[in-house]
Amino acid sequence: MSHPYSAALPIAWVGLRILIVLNWLFAVAVLVLLFVMPHEHWLMISLKLTPSPEATRIVWGMRGIAVIGLFTIPLYHLILTRLLAMVGTVREGDPFVLANAARLQTIAWILIVLQVLGLVIAIIVRMISTPAHPINISAGPSIAGLLAILLVFVLARVFAEGARMREDLEGTV
Amino acid sequence: MAILVKLDDLLHARRMTLTELAERVGITIVNLSILKTGKARAIRFSTLEAICTALACQPGDILEFLPDAAEEAKAA
Repeated sequence: MSHPYSAALPIAWVGLRILIVLNWLFAVAVLVLLFVMPHEHWLMISLKLTPSPEATRIVWGMRGIAVIGLFTIPLYHLILTRLLAMVGTVREGDPFVLANAARLQTIAWILIVLQVLGLVIAIIVRMISTPAHPINISAGPSIAGLLAILLVFVLARVFAEGARMREDLEGTV
Repeated sequence: MAILVKLDDLLHARRMTLTELAERVGITIVNLSILKTGKARAIRFSTLEAICTALACQPGDILEFLPDAAEEAKAA
């Protein structure tokens, strides 16, 4: 069977590899922010805050968001590596395998966890943001995000069914 | 599987080898071997037709349903 050439696969392959590296670089950047530069004074200057209980709350809130950001790194790594493995199976010409259905299922669950973490960030932002010092971080569950989760769960089922049909076809003489 | 493939017996009766049948039917020997050993999950009507033509037989001569095996498979 011949397939029309598509640039999407090589682009996805390279793009995903770059994203995996960028993800870990982001982890390093957050770690540096959290531990190498713990000076509250610097943070206050960068956020244009004057020392006060409110300012301390904002700084701790920002640190909390950074810690949550750190937790998302391995989650994004899991998503990216699973996508890369799936692209690999498409390149090899056999994407309808049960392993891909399992990968999509994992991705969907991770997306749910990410939505929950986004909700926690949104709550923190709401708690620390004041009219004098508004914190503009858009986080929290979104309709698009929830639709994406639904889509990935459905795709996981499609792949499981596809794998079953493929097995049947291979056993047909 | 409760369906028994009796291709071996037929080939023996017709004094034909699997390779000869593969050549006449136009199916790879690997696929015929899968069918002969009962490892196939399905058979196309076109394959059945070609085998029946080559061996001058009816589908019932090639396939047999074993009710006991079906009961065992259900119980398992």
